[in-house]
Amino acid sequence: MSSAVLELRDVSKSYAGSPPIEVLKEIDLKISEGELVAIVGPSGSGKSTLLNMMGALDRPTSGEVLIDGTVVNGLRDPSLSGVRGRRLGFVFQQFHLLPGLSATENVATGLLYHGTRGRARKAAAREALERVGLGHRLDQKPGKLSGGERQRVAIARALLGDPAIVLADEPTGNLDSQTTAEIVELFLELNEQGSTIVMITHDQDLTRSMPRVVEILDGEILDGAAAEPDTDEDDAL
Amino acid sequence: MMDRSKLRARDVVSTSVVGLRSRRGRTALTALGIAIGIASMVAVVGISSSSKAALIAQLDSLGTNLLRVEASSTGISIEPLPIEAEPMIRRVENVDAAAAVISTEFEVRRNDRDTNVVGINAMAASPELFETLRVDTTAGRPLDDGLRALPVVVLGDVAAIRLGITDLEGGPVIDVGGQDFVVVGILDELPLNPDISRKVLIGDQAAIELLGVEPNPTAIYVRVDPDLINETRPLLAPTAHPGRPAKVDVSRPSDLLEARAEVDQNLQNLLLALGGVALLVGGVGIANVMVISVLERRGEIGLRRALGATRGHIRSQFVLEAALLSGLGGVLGILLGSGITIGYARRQGWVVDLPPLALASGLGAALVIGMLAGFYPAAKAARLDPALAVSGGSN
Ligand SMILES: Nc1ncnc2c1ncn2[C@@H]1O[C@H](COP(=O)(O)OP(=O)(O)O)[C@@H](O)[C@H]1O
Ligand SMILES: [Mg+2]
Repeated sequence: MSSAVLELRDVSKSYAGSPPIEVLKEIDLKISEGELVAIVGPSGSGKSTLLNMMGALDRPTSGEVLIDGTVVNGLRDPSLSGVRGRRLGFVFQQFHLLPGLSATENVATGLLYHGTRGRARKAAAREALERVGLGHRLDQKPGKLSGGERQRVAIARALLGDPAIVLADEPTGNLDSQTTAEIVELFLELNEQGSTIVMITHDQDLTRSMPRVVEILDGEILDGAAAEPDTDEDDAL
Repeated sequence: MMDRSKLRARDVVSTSVVGLRSRRGRTALTALGIAIGIASMVAVVGISSSSKAALIAQLDSLGTNLLRVEASSTGISIEPLPIEAEPMIRRVENVDAAAAVISTEFEVRRNDRDTNVVGINAMAASPELFETLRVDTTAGRPLDDGLRALPVVVLGDVAAIRLGITDLEGGPVIDVGGQDFVVVGILDELPLNPDISRKVLIGDQAAIELLGVEPNPTAIYVRVDPDLINETRPLLAPTAHPGRPAKVDVSRPSDLLEARAEVDQNLQNLLLALGGVALLVGGVGIANVMVISVLERRGEIGLRRALGATRGHIRSQFVLEAALLSGLGGVLGILLGSGITIGYARRQGWVVDLPPLALASGLGAALVIGMLAGFYPAAKAARLDPALAVSGGSN
């Protein structure tokens, strides 16, 4: 129990409208340290909304979000930003690299809001780029990199500062199948090295190699058993 | 209890610099708006202060210690000064030189057959006038004691041009009151005494004896000790006309030049205001571009929020970006404005005077305008919902 790095308790999310759109319905979800979890569901099922809850990018309408044991619902902006910056790593479908910066500089922004010195940021960035297999592309601008390479840069950036958990929203959504397989392979490797990773996808095929798969449909988690890590006993319905 | 986000001061700056560096074309064009405003203001201040410096230098060389004593012109007919006014004034303490002139009604002509007059009158002068006014000749020589009673004439520079006499080649002669007067000299410019520039000067004795001019002076020019002007000036009227000092005016010709500098001040203020308007327009341009920039950079803003940036970090990034953008324009404008001032002053033959305070306040104004222009877009950026921003979704 205490090894849960991220936990959603009864999380619901509605967007204003008439009638209000209830996108997430009483979600219970627990991610333990060292897990690699795939969240899969069709487009519009609420996956990104779920990731926004887990990543403290948005607040639930009701329910609690615990990150690294802390309830983050009520935190004010500076503390919430601190949680995002220090406890979480993000990978997005659109990469979100800054076009004016080299690969190393882009990755180094992962520590920018930690108050780390520039030199230390760069050193950590180079190390992270080596880890994702881009040691030979350190000084390239994103414009000179392939889609797969750009996503590797973004993954390296998410790894900086040793986050408790890395959240990836459709990280392969813009990539071809060959590159997609490579990125999934990279996640498996990083997970083996100890990173806790949540990967969102709408592609069922990708989930085959994943140790744990959570299915979501219309804002609800389908298989109750998958909502808890596959620890032995009770929850096996 | 929580680890707060932290952004080092130098990283605040470098983050904003990166934002500008990544959009060079836009940065340059936006900064140009501010540059034009600042350049025009710097040029206005620079040119007017160089012009003032030149005027002061001119006044220094002409001397501000020349006074003019004349019969007061308040009555219907002007009562000329007593004949002994000139020698009396010369005897006053601290008076270095004094010279009387007598205005006449005689209009001069090129020769006695010429029916055209050119609006130039003859004036009688005592030979000390040239030393008192410190005026040189560009051709020939001034009047002296030897020429005082002879039918000779020295032309003021404007009068010479009107008469079409530019040199003494062939011994030019002009007609004054039906008599021939030989031109012996042409005066240099007289910035302090433009009235004398428009006269032809004949010796006082010649005027009295040959033309029958009344010997009473109409004005007396007085050179006094520069350090004792204020003490000496009140003594001149009672000395010139002991019985009726109220009938005498004492003026300082250099005051007129100084007054002209003051008139320029109004024009300068108007031009400054125009430069200020240009600056404001530049500021609005910055605000505009920053708003667009914020819309375009939602993804970047969302990413930074995901990386731990607080609303405050985002706000300061964009305010600083706007301020740097404007500051860049300010520096550019100062260079441009200084260049214009230097070029203009050189062409006018002035020394360049660029007040450092004006340059500093130009840069300061640019930074302040930029910051003000940045507040609204920065607030917009800071208010963006991180979840929406990272998704790249609209609004
Ligand atoms: N900010 C929002 N306002 C209103 N509706 C939203 C908002 N964000 C998402 N939705 C709606 O919530 C549903 C789930 O969206 P999303 O979580 O993005 O799904 P997914 O990522 O699984 O494709 C969609 O119907 C979408 O239209
Ligand atoms: Mg989605």
